[in-house]
Amino acid sequence: MTPTKKPSGALTTLRELPQNVWNSIFRNPLPSTDLERSSTSFTNFFLHIHPVKVNKNTLRPAYTLGLGLMATFLFVILVVTGVLLMFYYVPSTTQAYDRMLDLRGTVAFGIFLRNMHRWSAHGMVAIVFLHMCRVFFTGAYKKPREFNWVLGVFLLLVTLFLSFTGYLLPWDQLAFWAITVGTSIAGYAPIVGQQIKFVLLGDTTVGQEALLRFYVLHVAVLPAVLVLLMAIHFWRIRKDGGLSRPEKVAAPAPDAGVVKLKKIYGLQGFVRGPFTKLGNVPDDSVYSWPNLLMAEIFVFVLTISVILVVSLLFNAPLEQPVNVMHPPNPAKAPWYFLGLQEMVSYSAFWGGIGIPGMMAALLLLVPYIDRSTHGVGKWFAKERLLANTIFLTLVILNVIFIVIGTFFRGPNWSLVWPF
Amino acid sequence: MRLALAIASLVVLAVHGVVFRNQFFHEWERHQTAYIEQARSFAKSDRERAELDARSPRIEQIIVTSFGDTHVDRCTTCHLAADDPRFGNHAEPLKTHPYSEALGDVERNGQWERRHKFADFGCTVCHDGEGRGLDTFYAHGQDEFWPDPLMGYVTQANWRKDFSPHLLGKEYMEAKCAQCHTEEGFAGTPHVNRGRKLFYAMNCYGCHKIDGMSEGTLGPDLTEAGKKFKVDYLWESIVEPRANLDTSFMPNFHLPQDDVEALVIFLKSRRGVNFAETSLDRYKAHVANVAVVIPPGTAGEKAGEQLLGDRACTACHKLGDKDGGIAPDLSYEGLIRDEQWLNDHFANPRSRVPDSIMPAFRFPTEDFQKLMAYLESLKTPPPSARDARTTFANLCARCHGEKGDGNGKVAWYIDPSPRDFTKQGFMASKPRARFIASIQEGVGGTSMPPWKRILKDEQIAGVLDYVMQDFAKEPFKQLRPRNLPETNPVPSSPESIARGEQLFVAKRCIGCHGRKADGKGASSLDILPHPRNFRNHWFVESVADKRLFESIEYGVQGTAMPSWIDTLSTNEVGDVINFIRSLQTTRK
Repeated sequence: MTPTKKPSGALTTLRELPQNVWNSIFRNPLPSTDLERSSTSFTNFFLHIHPVKVNKNTLRPAYTLGLGLMATFLFVILVVTGVLLMFYYVPSTTQAYDRMLDLRGTVAFGIFLRNMHRWSAHGMVAIVFLHMCRVFFTGAYKKPREFNWVLGVFLLLVTLFLSFTGYLLPWDQLAFWAITVGTSIAGYAPIVGQQIKFVLLGDTTVGQEALLRFYVLHVAVLPAVLVLLMAIHFWRIRKDGGLSRPEKVAAPAPDAGVVKLKKIYGLQGFVRGPFTKLGNVPDDSVYSWPNLLMAEIFVFVLTISVILVVSLLFNAPLEQPVNVMHPPNPAKAPWYFLGLQEMVSYSAFWGGIGIPGMMAALLLLVPYIDRSTHGVGKWFAKERLLANTIFLTLVILNVIFIVIGTFFRGPNWSLVWPF
Repeated sequence: MRLALAIASLVVLAVHGVVFRNQFFHEWERHQTAYIEQARSFAKSDRERAELDARSPRIEQIIVTSFGDTHVDRCTTCHLAADDPRFGNHAEPLKTHPYSEALGDVERNGQWERRHKFADFGCTVCHDGEGRGLDTFYAHGQDEFWPDPLMGYVTQANWRKDFSPHLLGKEYMEAKCAQCHTEEGFAGTPHVNRGRKLFYAMNCYGCHKIDGMSEGTLGPDLTEAGKKFKVDYLWESIVEPRANLDTSFMPNFHLPQDDVEALVIFLKSRRGVNFAETSLDRYKAHVANVAVVIPPGTAGEKAGEQLLGDRACTACHKLGDKDGGIAPDLSYEGLIRDEQWLNDHFANPRSRVPDSIMPAFRFPTEDFQKLMAYLESLKTPPPSARDARTTFANLCARCHGEKGDGNGKVAWYIDPSPRDFTKQGFMASKPRARFIASIQEGVGGTSMPPWKRILKDEQIAGVLDYVMQDFAKEPFKQLRPRNLPETNPVPSSPESIARGEQLFVAKRCIGCHGRKADGKGASSLDILPHPRNFRNHWFVESVADKRLFESIEYGVQGTAMPSWIDTLSTNEVGDVINFIRSLQTTRK
């Protein structure tokens, strides 16, 4: 070592510092070869949820409509805005409403955060429901994805419950009476109905105990459950062989039975599963980086821009403070339960518990009832005419009931013309 | 896709721009900057100017702890000059809050000192509005969901346009003054005092309860009316009682506008609790459960007559030239009602006319006796008119209407409804003897009194002829005899009554007559005359089986009652009649 090199060594260290830090975080350069594309997906914490390559069908916007991603991103928005709102919110009957007023008038970005949270929550309920419809109409719940469908149904239920528990927190008339109506519907369940209602409310009516319970459910319990279920849901997408897609009509390889494992990349050896056809990859799949990533970013930006614009244009409702003695007429549940409330107005048990219970059971059992393996990966496949018709009928009925309950019901639940 | 992505990203950026702009450029900051600039020009010393220079816009707030629950008023964020006397001639929001001796402010050596210091009272204690709000729309309570908009200064967009102009004016703020100044004659709250007097003078207290003031039970409890309802709702409830509830029988008293205003202000001051009483006061009142004492009335010779005035009977009834336009005429009560009837009526108006809307007033017994004695003394018959037309106009038209269509001045408040003589079907299907009897003897359980002590037989016949010719326009026909049993062939027995009740439900009698047979079935509201109340024992017991048979089997023409002769056998009708008769409890 010559003395002249020493300062230059320190200088070099200094000069190379940013590059070294960067390289230590991002081990791969921006990928330019297939090998690098693969290893980028593998070695990045946030990206390794992706497979290295995805089927082209997965990236067809007309196939997925991006609904699953939208639901996920809405959840991310909800977590971020929700955590920020938690800094201001107090789950107390004497303070909650005042905190809402502060959010509206005084807290920096308060009203905007609340708008985003509110509209994202409504959006998430709608999008999750649409996602379920997409999966059904493309027959994607079929073997081997039965259990992921079941998880999806649970995710829908948890989403509904999350939105429902959040509905109470502003502690205004809208919240109070919607929850009073909603929990009353739960009370119609046979045998355990009243107990469920009591456990939920911690009292016989909606009050401080109910507010605290709904708060804890809303900010801790249910999000944790949702994250867990989501993790399993995503993990199973990979393990079930990626998103559903049309069956290959091509004839099986002539030397079927002797699967020739052509080793392409060492890293891919980690990826095992029933549908990982190593020898067959290049035909119908593309690299996740950048194709899948770009699609995801696009859906994300689309989702957040819609939510931002809606939040800018429309304020989340805040009605008068709770007045236990003065129910609004009519008192309505949140919109996604108005179909139930409409049915309850015909028959308390059948509308509130019987029919929804049967629908939930039917949804859970769908992949185990419909064992045919045909018609997967196509919208409204001819082979699935019966199943799709039944499902579509139920969906339309549900939507009609919600529309009637939302727009066509006036005081004393009498029919009114909304225009 | 890249283009779409770019556009979406731009949208995200743009929204952020707008949101940040909204966040950092507030309306109130402009007002504060203007205030600081103006105050600088008023400043007399450099030090004052330096202090102002160092000042930057910030949210001002008063935390009010002494009046009800602790609350926050941020009004002074914009109304920064409220307590700065130099801004007396400026425009809102930078205007000094006026000083006034009426408010108790004192001027000493040219310096005013406030009685109600803003640092203690805040703003919303007197003005209402949303103290936490920072932009005008919400802070002033213009948002339709805010329960207490700025009293007397702000009307909400969803309020009725025809009422809104009446609901402005600083007199409305008296309702807030009365939260502390509860003395009845407090000089600062003339409208509240007047409203309180009207509450008694118009007999509002007969139907409505206000804790410590009245005990009426027929109408809604108004103890917290000021907390529950906004001024537009209160105004509407007084001038159009049925605007919100079709079934409300609250009379429209047709009050002049300033009386309505006084009542609204008085009611707005009823907020259940007021700041003048401590929680201990409330507890004591609660434990003592103090009965409301209606002060005893006038004594002396003419006590009865004066009492009638004191108790404001003519707020509804007619007596001489005083007429409330809601209830029957009392001018010759001594000739149409006996002592027993009046006694029952005072104890409980519904004991004689079960569907009467008159409240039971809880006056001392002596008052009732005096009133009764006075009413019994009203035995001067109306000037005997020769022609039937004038007689009808004098005696009958108040209920039956000048056109005989059963739609007289007070008809709406009378249940069972006065007969509509223009319904030919009814008038032609009933024998003359029945009409004569109804006029002579009155109709039990209804407001139709017996006229036999006022009208001679030939006058009654004359009036009936007049009604038939001018209203029914139907000459008497010989009625075809109908095959009806004189008395109920089915003996009353528990089995028969049970069968009758079953038929009453199964044949849908309940649709109009109600499950309780009280005439209040689901469709009863849409039917005039209203379906019969079979729990009106004065009426049911005055009617013979034969007439019940006729009404059920042949229906009642000119009303909604259909004929059942093809549906029910004679014995089944007998069962139904036994059921109806079984509902009558013995007379008290």
